[in-house]
Amino acid sequence: MTIRARLTLWYAGILILSLVVIGIGTYREIDEQMRHGHRRAPTGRAISETSEMVLQVGLPAVVLGLLGGWWLTRRSLAPVKKLTAAATQIHERNLRDPLPRTRNGDELDQLTKVFNDSLARLDDSFKRIHEFTLHASHELKTPLTVLCGEAEIASRDESLPPAERERAASQLDELRRLARIVDGLTLLAKADAGQVALKLEPLRFDELVHEAFADAQILAEPYGVQVELAGCDEVSVRGDRHRLRQLLLNLTDNALKYNQPRGGVIMSLLRSGDTAQFTIANTGAGIPPEILPRVFDRFFRGNPAHENTIEGCGLGLSIAKWIVSAHHGTIRAESMPSKLTTFTVRLPLDTAAKPA
Amino acid sequence: MRILVVEDEKKTASFVRKALQAEGFAVDVMANGEDGLLAAAGTPFDAIILDIMLPGCDGLSVLRRLRGQKNTTPVLLLSARGEVNERVEGLNLGADDYLPKPFELAELVARVRALTRRGGENRPVVLRVADLTLDTVTRRARRGGAEIELTAREYRLLEFLMRSADRLCGRMMILEKVWDYDFDPGTNLVDVYVRRLREKIDANFEPKLLHTVRGSGYVLKETP
Repeated sequence: MTIRARLTLWYAGILILSLVVIGIGTYREIDEQMRHGHRRAPTGRAISETSEMVLQVGLPAVVLGLLGGWWLTRRSLAPVKKLTAAATQIHERNLRDPLPRTRNGDELDQLTKVFNDSLARLDDSFKRIHEFTLHASHELKTPLTVLCGEAEIASRDESLPPAERERAASQLDELRRLARIVDGLTLLAKADAGQVALKLEPLRFDELVHEAFADAQILAEPYGVQVELAGCDEVSVRGDRHRLRQLLLNLTDNALKYNQPRGGVIMSLLRSGDTAQFTIANTGAGIPPEILPRVFDRFFRGNPAHENTIEGCGLGLSIAKWIVSAHHGTIRAESMPSKLTTFTVRLPLDTAAKPA
Repeated sequence: MRILVVEDEKKTASFVRKALQAEGFAVDVMANGEDGLLAAAGTPFDAIILDIMLPGCDGLSVLRRLRGQKNTTPVLLLSARGEVNERVEGLNLGADDYLPKPFELAELVARVRALTRRGGENRPVVLRVADLTLDTVTRRARRGGAEIELTAREYRLLEFLMRSADRLCGRMMILEKVWDYDFDPGTNLVDVYVRRLREKIDANFEPKLLHTVRGSGYVLKETP
């Protein structure tokens, strides 16, 4: 219920109450007059006269009061409505534009001022995040470039003993992993600040899934894992081709890495209502329910025992989650220990595309 | 072959110079955009390696002014940001290639080599390395008279490797050209595909043609 409706109801209640009070007062007055013999009348006359008075004079007054109250609340709440309308237009790119103020110093004007002040602070922190990520990625990548370059030269320097070249090569591997982590973190930090622009276009999601399936079969060979495509409906979505391919590859990579030897991976793409539903299930050790909601957290690893044996940047699922939300979709993980672990991605279908 | 390197970070500039010199290139290094422009105007270079983040006039402005002066020297952009938009913007402004930092030196050298050869490249219909042939019209590969079955992806990989025969193909370069990925997926996709391809074209034949360059990428060539 809106404040306006509530105020008007209360107001109506008060008016009706006062009408009752007036009615009682009037009745008493008339009754008194009759008893003192000014007017002779049959019993019950006092009641009907009172109700006549209340109906003819009191009721119009109440209706008038209600209309006035309605108008008054509307008038006094108008600035709030305006404020709400202006506030709904706010998103992180126009934080700098303050809400219009009346500058008459009333309560609402003060509220607007406080609101504008916090907007300015928010804008400031958004800007700082953006600058920070740009600077951080630059500051981290410059020394990484130097380290990688030097390690690469050392790993191929014939004048060095083989053991040292080997060490340089192993350092190079770790440096490259670090570089991937920096890349992933930069991407996520920018995504947090809304600084990553997606290149949306109508595309056939099933083609991307077929492609991911082909890659998955190849990637699965060293793990001895069987990959199966259980179904692949033709579906069109509006999306960023590169990012969606990255999403599928991240999920595939995850399903293969956290699998058991000679396990299986089952992919499927189904049209379900007005969404495209992609699922990828694997026969891994499973994820205990208490940590399931955390698998999309940055650097979160479900099983500490895996930590040293599975190489990755620890950001794959976080990036996957971001890509899905940036496409207005949802991603969910379900798991039963030592049964299937399933990731389900739902993306809205491209309604502009003609049905396949 | 003479290369101009515009890079303000001294150590990076230094090992890029060394790596290129080791490959027989003459290298000039400039530490800011203005000097880079002056150098490019005065000397005909075979390629320019241009860092985007430069003090003063940044790399993209240098590129814009260079192309504005009708200078068509191939340009390879280096960037620490690695943003997709930046890459697209750079290529739209007339850059010929883009490499995010940190890059692999061998990959950088391979790309510079590809840039300096551009134009003179003929694109034969049948590619040949030793007794391995690939018909780009019928999409058939043969080695030693035996036909080799390839999947679509393997075909693209082999075609790319054969077109760049004798040159190192870095992992990022392969991901870009064969998979059309603009991000490092952090998987061993390339290595696994190369292993499969190697089983098909090399396992039962001599000499071996597809060689691994440790930590950098692959090269297809007749002599090791």
